[in-house]
Formats: sequence, structure tokens, C-alpha cells
Amino acid sequence: MARKTPVLKIAGLRKAFGPVVIVDGFNLEVAAGEAVALTGRNGAGKSTVLRCLIGVDRADEGTVEVNGIRASETNPQIRRDVATVIDDLDFFPDLSVVEHLDLLARAHGIPDPDAAVDEVLAEVQLVPQSGQLPGTLSSGQRRRLALATAFVRPRKLLVLDEPEQRLDTEGLAWLADRLVAERERGLAIVMATHEPLLVEKVATRVVRLGDRGRVIEGSGE
Amino acid sequence: MSKKSRKLIRSGVPAPAAAEPVVVPARPPRSFYFLPESEPVSVDEADLHELMKLWRHGRATRTIGQVLSDSYVTLFSVLLVGAMVTSTVINAQHGMTGCETEACNASRLLLPTAMAFGSFALALGLSRLFGPILASAAEGSWLMAAPISRRRLLRGRLVLPLVAAFVVPLPLTLLVGAMGGMDWWSVAAWSSAAGFGSSALVALAASEQTRERTLLLKILQTLATVGALAIGLMVVAMAGNWLPTQTVAEDSALRPAVVVLGAVSLLAMIGLIVATLRRLELIQRARLVSGGSLVSGMQGAMFALDFGLIRDILVERRAMAKGHVRPTKGRGLGITALIWRDAERLRRAPAAFIGLGVSLLVPYAVDALRLSQLNPLISGLALTAALVPFLGSLRVLTRTGGLARSMPFKTTEIRTASMAVPAVLAAFWGAAAAPAFVGIASSGADRSVLDGVSVAVITAVAGLFGAVRWVTAGKADYSAPMMATASGALPPTLIFNLFRGIDMVALITAPVILGADPIWSAALAAVVFIGLRGTFNMEEMKAEQEAAQREMAASKAARAEKTRIPPPKR
Repeated sequence: MARKTPVLKIAGLRKAFGPVVIVDGFNLEVAAGEAVALTGRNGAGKSTVLRCLIGVDRADEGTVEVNGIRASETNPQIRRDVATVIDDLDFFPDLSVVEHLDLLARAHGIPDPDAAVDEVLAEVQLVPQSGQLPGTLSSGQRRRLALATAFVRPRKLLVLDEPEQRLDTEGLAWLADRLVAERERGLAIVMATHEPLLVEKVATRVVRLGDRGRVIEGSGE
Repeated sequence: MSKKSRKLIRSGVPAPAAAEPVVVPARPPRSFYFLPESEPVSVDEADLHELMKLWRHGRATRTIGQVLSDSYVTLFSVLLVGAMVTSTVINAQHGMTGCETEACNASRLLLPTAMAFGSFALALGLSRLFGPILASAAEGSWLMAAPISRRRLLRGRLVLPLVAAFVVPLPLTLLVGAMGGMDWWSVAAWSSAAGFGSSALVALAASEQTRERTLLLKILQTLATVGALAIGLMVVAMAGNWLPTQTVAEDSALRPAVVVLGAVSLLAMIGLIVATLRRLELIQRARLVSGGSLVSGMQGAMFALDFGLIRDILVERRAMAKGHVRPTKGRGLGITALIWRDAERLRRAPAAFIGLGVSLLVPYAVDALRLSQLNPLISGLALTAALVPFLGSLRVLTRTGGLARSMPFKTTEIRTASMAVPAVLAAFWGAAAAPAFVGIASSGADRSVLDGVSVAVITAVAGLFGAVRWVTAGKADYSAPMMATASGALPPTLIFNLFRGIDMVALITAPVILGADPIWSAALAAVVFIGLRGTFNMEEMKAEQEAAQREMAASKAARAEKTRIPPPKR
């Protein structure tokens, strides 16, 4: 059977901060409908891989391609295809929860933005907070809003850095189900996680990173 | 500094010696414990303060004498400059006292009065923002939770805001009064009234803080602001001969009233301090700590001269205080949605229009003061300050990449769209300010109508780009090579942070100030626009180049496919 064309292809990724090498020679291919979980101890380089993947940090060596296009944070095509939830997500201090989602849905040209926003808002259980400004949300609610910004827009690749952070048990179960549904709909997912539930339920492949982002278990390809 | 601390510093011992380990006697095993084990003892807050002072002194590496001897050049410079300023002020006062025209008399009275009202508004604004009584987050966590007297712990915290509220407006009002030619008795009366009045308002704010009330302060702040603006407007109107100057009394006639105001303020301040001290035990921790956190956040931003970050902290705080808004639906799809949301913001935050309105007075005031040559620069800077609140979305979309990354647009598209609504406002400002640039306020027209309109447009564009530069400038880069300065090694971007925004206004308006054709300013503005919208983004350009190469390769392959001649069939 012919192998699917990878949505994401990372080859020979190397990233160092001064003399400290975080990741060296990291390879990863993720096809549509696949979910890869990057696991490993703190400092293993999971977040660095994800940051290089979406172009927030520039890799010292190696290439990252999304649907055959070199990944660059500023490339509009990459911005269209890749939905991310990492720590640097900012919010407009003067826009409410629902207005953030409405703006993103409209910016991506979704034909019926109201319906899309209502659906996602109900799903992340932020309907009572829809008029609240982000500064007043609890950390868990902010996380839900960050996840909602990824789910309200079209996407081909979902990049998540410890999406389980600050979610309650119920929220975690919902996230696992939602990610399984996303994967089954043909979305490619890459996530760094410490949460066994997400690894067991969502991931089709687990890549465990050791020192310098070296794969010590699982396969990047 | 105590003798003990001085001795500690000289001996080079960084901290007091560790206490002898306490030997805890063995207790018989028990199946349960009472909490607390011992009887509660009352804490002496004075001892607590002494202990904190001792720790701080123990960590100091230099004595006050050493600090002073190291900074003697700075101190000498300050004294020298202070003496020069004093001499200039005295000379100016002598010179202006002779001016007995109605315009001189009017400005002599109005300017210090406007300054006093401005001081009142500022004192109330800062008091409402910070507390005025505040405590650090650490104090909030460790000391406020302990069974100690808040009154005894916090009573010293009132001193600094009260002294600052007295000391800051006093010399400023004195300067304005003396430069306007007031006699020294009037100068003293106005300055004292401004100082005591501001201190009394800070004491009132402290008293209201203990009662968790803000309404009265809001009303007073609004009145003081309106008063300062109205008087400022009167000064401009009189300088432009639009208002008769004889309507204003002489300063000496109002002096007794001002002296009474100062005395009443002093008495009110004393009364309010006593009332506040009585209620200090009941002050809420949340309000104290929020002011302390704000100060520490702003201190951090000030070290990096990141004024944008200071503004972000204030905006975030205001949003948190507001908490909730009535959501509105967006309009349009794609980039239009972003522009529409900015337009929607205007309705949500109408207070920003007050600043824009005030900035519109500046070109008329400058023209009335016969400074029309410098009008583009001064008015451009005023417009820059006024437009910053309208560039909130640009600020958020550029300070971190997170939100911009979730939108399917190029950086240039995002920046241009975020400038759209402020550009419309700047255009209206330019149209409304055009008569000032023609020279309507001063006695005769300085420029032709066409030239005046051109300069107004240039000023509006300079103000807009100054504001865009201010909100989009990056943080100081401490990894870049440092620059040697008298204050030690500093990153170059830290120095530029001081001038960000101002640089763009100065650059764009320089040709018109120097008397060159406005077309030069327009050309410079075009270059600035290309830079500010992020056109030269290397990442983006590389990605575009690769995309173009891929497209070319694909079309080449398709062409080759089309023109391929099938092999002949045998």
C-alpha cells in the first residue's frame, strides 16, 4: 500500500541555545489522520521541536515542511493550514471571549461564522463567559479559549503544546474525545504532552524524546 | 543607617550570622495535636520593621557615603543646572513683571491656575490607579495574612504619596507662575495651593480606599480635568484674540482666595490623614496588593524603558476592572473583519476621543503662540500621543506572534488593516486642523490655503506613523552588542526606545519645518510606511520566493507534459 503524503515533514532538525544543544538530528513525518504524541521529561526538547515546527523559533539546521511548503510563521498559507495552541497565544484585552472567536472565524472566511462560534463556544463550555474579557478568565478558562481558537477555524495540522495544562478532569476527557474526532476526520495532530489519557486515547504514534531531542522510543517516521 | 548595619557592611559580612540551632526537647508520643501548639503572642510591628530594615542593610554592598562619593559628578551637574534654571526663572520673572497688557495679565493668572487644576487631576488619577496606599505582593502574602496590626504596619505608607503630591506640583506651578511674571507673593500662594490641594486630594483618596469607594474621586477627577482643559482653552482663545482679555481679573485680586484655598487644603489634609489612620486597620488586602503589583510591573518595564509595556499593564488592568462587555457581532469576512472590529472598538472606548479632541487644540494653540514654524512637529507629537489608544489591535498583533499566527494573512496585510481606522481618524484630524496650519489663529495667514492643507496632511501622517512606530517597536535586545555610555554599557535599542515615535514625526516633518517642499515630507512618509507595514520581512520574502520557484517549476513541468510528442507507433 502506498504511503500517504505527509502533512508535516521534519528532517535533520537541530536547535541550540548558545552551547546548549536542545535538539539534534530530529526527524518526523506525520500524515493526515495521524496523531503523534511527543513525550519525555522536562527539558527533553518537546516544546522546542514544536516552536521550530511552527516557525516561532528558527532551527539552526534542518527543514520543516507543511504540505510541501517550508514552514514559516509569517507565511499566510502556513497560517491558514496550521492551528496552534502553544504558550505564546495572546488575547485582545478589550474583546470578549465570543468576539475573539467571531473575529477568527470571519478572518478565515467561514461562511456561517455565527453557527461555528456558537458550536465551539458550547463545546468548550464558555457560553456563560461569552461576554467576559480574557483578563478576568481563570487559567483553565483561558486554556479552553485558546483551544477554542484552534477549533473555530479551518486547519490541516493541529500543533498542541501540553494542551492538558490547567484543564479539569471533565475538560481533559472532552479534549481527548475532540482530538480523536479531529484525527478521524483526517486532521494531522502533533502534540507534546505528559498526560497518559491523551497519549493512550488520541496518539496513533508516540515519540519519546531523550537528551538533545534524541528519539529513545517510537519512530519519527 | 544604624551603626550595626554600617559595621556589617564594612566587615563585608553579607547577612547576620545564622542563629544557633534550637534544640527541641523530645516529646512523648501522642495520637493527636492541638494547633497551634503554643499560645498566640502579639507581634510588635515596630520590631518587624526593624528586622526588615536590618535584613536590607545587611544585604547592602555600599554605604550612603560611598554612593554619594561615586555620584558626585551627577550631583554637581544637577546643582549647576538647578542654579542656571533658577537664574533663568528669576530673570524671566523680572522681565515679564513689566508686561502690563491685558493679554499678559490674563495668561499670568490662567496658566498657574490651569497647572494647579492639572495637578489635582493627576494626583487623583495616580491615587486611584495605585491605591494610594499600597503593599507589595510579598507583603500581601506573608504579612497581611499574619495576625498583625495593619494600621501600625501601613501608616508609614501614606507619607510618600502625600509628600510626592506636594513636592511635584509645587515647583511646576512656581515655574509657570514665575515665567508668566506673577509677583513672588502670588507665586507662593498659587504654588502652595497646588501642593496642599494635591496632597489633600491624595489624603481623600486614601480615606476613600479604606472605605472601598471611588465615585467621589471619579467626580472630582473629572471636574479637575475639565477645569484644566477649559482654562487651557481660554489661554489659547485669548492668545488668538478670539476672547476678550479684559474678562480675566488680575492675579493680585484673587490672591486672598488662593491663600484661603491653600489653608483649607492643609486643614483638610490633616483631618483626612487622621480619619484614614483610624480606619487603616480595615483596609482590604486585595486593593493594597494590586497597587503594589502594578508598581513592581511598571518598575520592571521602566528598567527596559519599555513604555509600551507600561501602557499594556495599564490597559490590562482597566480591562480587568471592567471585566465584562456586551458582545457585538463582527461584520465581513477576511481582512474586512479585522478592520470592522477596530471600528467597533471606537464605540466601546469613546474616552480615547477626548485625547484626540485635546490634540486638535494643539495646532491652534501653537499657531496662536506664533510658533507656526514648529507647528508640524509639536502637533504631530500631540497627535501621536492621541492616536496610540486607537492602535490597540496593532499592539496586540505585533507584541507576540500568537494571534497574528492564527490569522491567514501576511504581516503586511495585518499591519495595514490595523492602521486603517486610525488613518481615517488622522485624516479627519488633518482636515479639522488645516485652518491652524494656514495661520488662522495668528494675526495673518502664514501659508497659502494649499500649502496649509498640505502641511496639515503631512502632520496628520507624521502623527499616525509616530503612533504606529510607538506601538510596534520591539523590546530592548540585550543579546545585541552593547553601547558604551556614561551610565555604563547599554543595548542600543534601549536608547532608541526613548525616541520611538518621536523619531518618525521628526523625520517626516523635518522638510516642512526647514521650509522645503512638502513633497519631500510625503516621500519620506512613503518610505516610513513601507518600513512600518513590515514589507522587508526576510522570512516572508524567502517564503514568497520559494513559492514562486515552486509555481515556476510546476508550470514548467506542465508545459513539458503538454508539448511532449508521443513516440511513433509502429
